[in-house]
Amino acid sequence: MKFSFNLIKKLAPGKYDAQTLAEELNLKSFETAYLGNDVLDVSVSPNRFSDAASHLGIAREASVIFDDKLADPLAKTPKLETGKIPQVKIQDSKLCPRYLAAYAEKIKVGPSPKWLKEFLDTCGIRSINNVVDVMNYVMLEVGQPLHAFDADKLNGGLQVRKAKKGEKIETIDNQKFNLDSDILVIADGKGPQAIAGIKGGKLAEVSGQTKRILVEAANFNGANIYQSSKKLGLRTDASTRFMHDLSPALAALGMNRALALLKETAGAKIYNPLDIYPKKQSKKMLKLDMDKINRLVGFNFKEKDLEKLFAKLGFIKEKGLLAVPAFRNDIENLEDLAEEAARFADYNKLPARAPAVALMAAEEEEQVLLKDKIRDFLKGAGFSEVYNYSFISGSAAGIAPKSALSLEKAAELANPISGQFAYLRDSLAPGLRRNLEDNLRFSDSARIFEIGKIFGSAKNGIQEKLILGAGIIGPDSLLELKGLIDGMLNQLGLADYSMPDLNLTSKLLNPQESLRIETDEHQVLGYLGTLRGIKNGAILEIDLEKLLKEVDEEREFEPLPKYPAIIRDLSILVGSSARVGQILNLLSGFNPKIVEDVDLADLYEDPKLGENKKSLTFRIIFRADDHTLTDQEVDREMAIINQVVADKFNAELR
Amino acid sequence: MINLEQLKKQALSAVKSAKDAKALESLRVRFLGREKGELTKILRSLGTLPLEDKRKLGPQANALRQELETAFNKKLEELKVNSQKSGVGVDITMPGKKVSVGHLHILTQVEKQVRDIFKALNFSVVEGPEVETEYYNFDALNIPKDHPARDMWDTFWILQNRIKNQESRIKNEKMLLRTHTSPVQVRYMENHQPPFQIIVPGRVFRFEATDASHEINFHQVEGLMVGKDVNLANFKFVMREFFRRLFGEDIKLRYRPSYFPFVEPGLEIDIWYERGKLRRPEGSESRPKASGWLEIMGAGMVHPHVFEAARYNPRDLQGFAFGLGLERIAMIKYNIPDIRMFYSGDLRFIKQF
Repeated sequence: MKFSFNLIKKLAPGKYDAQTLAEELNLKSFETAYLGNDVLDVSVSPNRFSDAASHLGIAREASVIFDDKLADPLAKTPKLETGKIPQVKIQDSKLCPRYLAAYAEKIKVGPSPKWLKEFLDTCGIRSINNVVDVMNYVMLEVGQPLHAFDADKLNGGLQVRKAKKGEKIETIDNQKFNLDSDILVIADGKGPQAIAGIKGGKLAEVSGQTKRILVEAANFNGANIYQSSKKLGLRTDASTRFMHDLSPALAALGMNRALALLKETAGAKIYNPLDIYPKKQSKKMLKLDMDKINRLVGFNFKEKDLEKLFAKLGFIKEKGLLAVPAFRNDIENLEDLAEEAARFADYNKLPARAPAVALMAAEEEEQVLLKDKIRDFLKGAGFSEVYNYSFISGSAAGIAPKSALSLEKAAELANPISGQFAYLRDSLAPGLRRNLEDNLRFSDSARIFEIGKIFGSAKNGIQEKLILGAGIIGPDSLLELKGLIDGMLNQLGLADYSMPDLNLTSKLLNPQESLRIETDEHQVLGYLGTLRGIKNGAILEIDLEKLLKEVDEEREFEPLPKYPAIIRDLSILVGSSARVGQILNLLSGFNPKIVEDVDLADLYEDPKLGENKKSLTFRIIFRADDHTLTDQEVDREMAIINQVVADKFNAELR
Repeated sequence: MINLEQLKKQALSAVKSAKDAKALESLRVRFLGREKGELTKILRSLGTLPLEDKRKLGPQANALRQELETAFNKKLEELKVNSQKSGVGVDITMPGKKVSVGHLHILTQVEKQVRDIFKALNFSVVEGPEVETEYYNFDALNIPKDHPARDMWDTFWILQNRIKNQESRIKNEKMLLRTHTSPVQVRYMENHQPPFQIIVPGRVFRFEATDASHEINFHQVEGLMVGKDVNLANFKFVMREFFRRLFGEDIKLRYRPSYFPFVEPGLEIDIWYERGKLRRPEGSESRPKASGWLEIMGAGMVHPHVFEAARYNPRDLQGFAFGLGLERIAMIKYNIPDIRMFYSGDLRFIKQF
């Protein structure tokens, strides 16, 4: 909001320049910049519009900061005529707590004096004519928006009421609006002449021919103006102020100031205003509880100093209590008083002191720790971490195998920023797939992962899940992911799981090359598979909340083997459709007493081997835990193994 | 008879004068070769000797074999070192073999730095949901409905509006994407008794146009400390400690009054930046300056209405709360010019950190 430094200085005379004022306001009141040419840009906070969105308000801050006097713009009150009082009815005093109206006659409408024009220009408002300019000047000076009607164009008394269905209005800037019954209007016998608190109507606009005007200074309900302004898509200086909840006390102040200025600049004959104010604002009384203020701030303010401060801020001491000024509707409690004390003392000058608290070990939630562990593991495995948007397009929703992540359907936004981001992601896969493709431009392989929330829309609300996703482009991508899962789950302490066929079709994965990750109790943790349409690409997703329930941190020392192992290789020739996993399972479970471990040592495919054949070599580690195995024992076992494998898988021993 | 002593002399002098590994290897074959090595032959012939000779020569011959093996190995090492020195063997100027190294996202790293500092200051780490109710995101935080204060947070609403959420206190409450991590303040207080101090890292969302310094999703860390006497001076102490550890001992801070409906008094903290020292994100202000104050955190003393929302008695308790943006810290600390880079998934960016 733009302010004129000269007017502030006039209201709060003192020895300071614009730059100093800007710096001090920054530290004690509001974010402020001096833009040069008399213009101060002050960001008045939303709770302070009633007292501070005005030159008088900023001058009051300055008068406290620099400990100077504050001038009263109302010192000269004009002599008012009696006899002509406007007729006004208020339909709902909750929406319009106060309404002042006054006639001014023998108006000479014309250009404003130079000082007024320049002032408005500083504040970013266009000069119209002396009447309109006075209304705007008063708004800027004391913070009360005003409106002037051409009194000769009004028909009968005014009504402050909700618009009727089908009513329309054309505003002074030639915009047409259809009104509805939530919107408050100022209407005469013919219809709406202004949208209350927002903008005046064209019909009763003040023009060069205007001789008599009706000046309005009213107070409107902030929430109602906020809603109406939003609904109409019409935001004005007046509506912006009203929607922040102004004090009804400002209306009288504004009216008196406007009438004085009209007399001064337009030579008007001014009549006593009508003031409808059925339910007066109650006076707020607060105790200046020094103990509590000092406990909150951690500083020893002196009562005398604070009493002086609050007096300067317009608080009045009554029976040991402080009466809050009517325009300070932001002040409600002791914390608010503490803020006034602390900010004018300068936060930077207040002490810093270590808290005195009972020592308790800081903790991190299990989920936070799990994420850390997984990130460290994946980083060690050569994977880099990406962050993607939480938003996806409609066409990217639902591509991952649904039941693997057990989400129903993607949740849609009511107000998306664009079609590309219309849904909440229901899988990390769309982002990871795009990352893999994008990075192919710079590199022929990539290993990435992401940990983040995914969302689904269900009958009883929005589902939210914490997911790990990882993607690879490179040779053996699927098997690398499979090995990655083994390594990770092993490190996390989860041993009882398997990766059977996924048996689900999805847009994301090649159907024959996808697996699900499940615990031995058939709890599905996630999936992995090769990506459709991306050569050598594979992806996985794991539900980390489910995983967290499965992992077991408890470990126990296992004695190191006492007796030596004997290693034998088993080389067989099988049909190319034979599945290694099945043979491995058979071998691993063969004779647990002496078969310690089995691994695939070599896989070889060559036309020379015969049509549709492949050669497999398994390395079997034999060890007994109670004696040194002899070659004879192992030979006997191998003979049985050979026989069973040959029979079961139609294998040829090599 | 067999003269072991002579054999030993011969062998050792030959080893000593061997010029390279190849020559050494042929000497090894000559003396220790499995088939025709001279010592091997002697060892093998032991079996044919009378028992007495066998007893005498056996241990001697075995000892000699060990001695020679040691000598061969020692010489081989020597030759290797020499050959590397003279440039034969491994070309040590070759580039190192590439090791596959992963990188954590810079925001993860910055979050970890922040967490570690606060953990060292005895703050616990908790998280909260990203999809929130209107109640927790606004009402419970004293942000009134139909007041422009709520416009400080441009909000994404979920289409399936007015759903029945079991957690929700209000029937048919609207759901939204949380605009800040502050809702976790009330969620945490509902389930915990003071005194405590926590931080809450997490993703938040704003319905706004993106540019170099604005994103539709970004990350915050919320902080909350509540106790009987937790005061503003304590807040200043914790902040000073935090920023010194994050940006270095000589960091300069500035406190300014500000307004957030859920704190009273409300403040903002600026840090002093100087070009080349602390970096400033481009696009954060229209006119780039060589130095100046940079806004970094919003904070204040917890508003009594927020305590009331959590069913605490505000007369018994005091506390402070604060919030900071992780992207902003990362941009300042690492001179990253555009917030959108964090979400590009570009490994050329990610692998720089």
